[in-house]
Amino acid sequence: MSDRKEPKSMERRRFIRSGMQMALAVSLGGVASVSFIKSTSKDLVWQIDPFKCVQCGRCATECIMTPSAVKCVHSFNLCGYCDLCGGYLKPDPNARSTAAENQLCPTAAINRRYIEEPYFEYVIDEKLCIGCAKCVAGCTSFGNGSLHLQIRHDRCKNCNECAIARVCPADAFQRVPRNTPYLIKGGFTKGGTSKDQLKKG
Amino acid sequence: MNRKLINIVLIVLALAIVVIIGKDFIGKKAGKNIENPYEYNVDEFRKVDSTAILYRETITFPVKVEEPKGIAISGKQIVVVSEKLILKYDYTGKELFHKDIPDTANCVTVDANNEIWVGTLHSVDLFDQGGTLLKRWNSFGDRSVITSIAVSGENVYVADAGNRIVYHCNTNGQVLSRIGEKDEQKGVPGYIIPSPYFDLAVDDGGFLWVANTGRHSFENYNKDGSLRTSWGIASFKIEGFTGCCNPAQFAILADNSFITSEKGMPRIKLYDQHGVFKGVVASPAMFANGWYAPDIAIDADQRVVALDFDRKQVRIFEKK
Repeated sequence: MSDRKEPKSMERRRFIRSGMQMALAVSLGGVASVSFIKSTSKDLVWQIDPFKCVQCGRCATECIMTPSAVKCVHSFNLCGYCDLCGGYLKPDPNARSTAAENQLCPTAAINRRYIEEPYFEYVIDEKLCIGCAKCVAGCTSFGNGSLHLQIRHDRCKNCNECAIARVCPADAFQRVPRNTPYLIKGGFTKGGTSKDQLKKG
Repeated sequence: MNRKLINIVLIVLALAIVVIIGKDFIGKKAGKNIENPYEYNVDEFRKVDSTAILYRETITFPVKVEEPKGIAISGKQIVVVSEKLILKYDYTGKELFHKDIPDTANCVTVDANNEIWVGTLHSVDLFDQGGTLLKRWNSFGDRSVITSIAVSGENVYVADAGNRIVYHCNTNGQVLSRIGEKDEQKGVPGYIIPSPYFDLAVDDGGFLWVANTGRHSFENYNKDGSLRTSWGIASFKIEGFTGCCNPAQFAILADNSFITSEKGMPRIKLYDQHGVFKGVVASPAMFANGWYAPDIAIDADQRVVALDFDRKQVRIFEKK
């Protein structure tokens, strides 16, 4: 009968190893739980229903952020890539060109890029966009309505009482879950969420 | 003394602040009409000189359906299709009958035998005068969006906005040729159709006219599909067509002049057979707050029969 006892150094090593394993498991579990809670959280954030928006201009003037946290976004899958773009060009422009005098946007925040005859792509420069919705009005009236406003959550302070929501004449501001914070046209449609309900402009 | 003065000044200041905040709070409340410094204003283009208005509205009646889709004339009756119904009205607005249809309608036309051709999303259905289904064509495919049909004798022309093509078919739905595909040798530029507005009609001589909305023009084709002529001008001004997809709807009068209908800033206009602007049938003011291009048909008396989608009304215009 041999009563072999492990050396003290071995016990310490095992203790440290299992301790570290435990700590790793706890921290991984913690991160997973926090992520899970966050992803299923019922926290709400502000967002604009693009089908209710009436392009009143208040998103540009009433937001506490300067420039506004509301920006124009572009649903490329709805866009007609038109040469005569109602969202880019002033009504009855001198020419269909990028000259400042022909542009509708007061801050020149839309870039027009030639694709192929006669198609053009329009990309929003969010740094310049002030959320005035002038282009949205033009695109909604004379195009497919692919340009629309959204609150950008990397800028929005998510105020308890949103300064724009308070004055929005169309009641277009609503609270949406934090994990689905955008209402982008195309995936989200008027009166529902069906993707195939492609609505006219 | 000084302290009293300071107190008075402070009270006045506090009151002023309260008044300013209150005024701001009430003045900017939702629903208040505040001037929009970024307003998109096309009022200038909505104005039409009264001397340019050649027609007057004589008859108006409502169509009691959820979503009207198209209008056509059948003798002395007006045919309207909604998503799931064919309806017939007389000129007093009395509903003569309505009948369920199996597919969702997109457009309608009536041929010389008063049979009713209904374009659905992917196909064409033929009904008799009483709304009984006679024929159903094969589907043009999942990408197809049928937006207009014109019948001339045994020739049926079908506009497919999804595939940007016009099918020339016989009455059984057999495709005889595809018209409008880009072909430099035939001088065909190809259709630019940014949205599902793609109308066509056949003139007095049996020639096909197609609205190439992305190019703001009308294109006229020979029987072999080659381009015969075209006309159109892109402009916000009254004599032109603007936006992504205009003229959205049109019809041809007996003298081969054109009645056009536009969306965005709805207006109905008259052009002669060469595309020269002659005048206005209905100005934008007659479609206040409207957006959709009214569908139009021409009756035997050459009246313009319009289906106003915004108001859900049939509106009939007669020459002054």
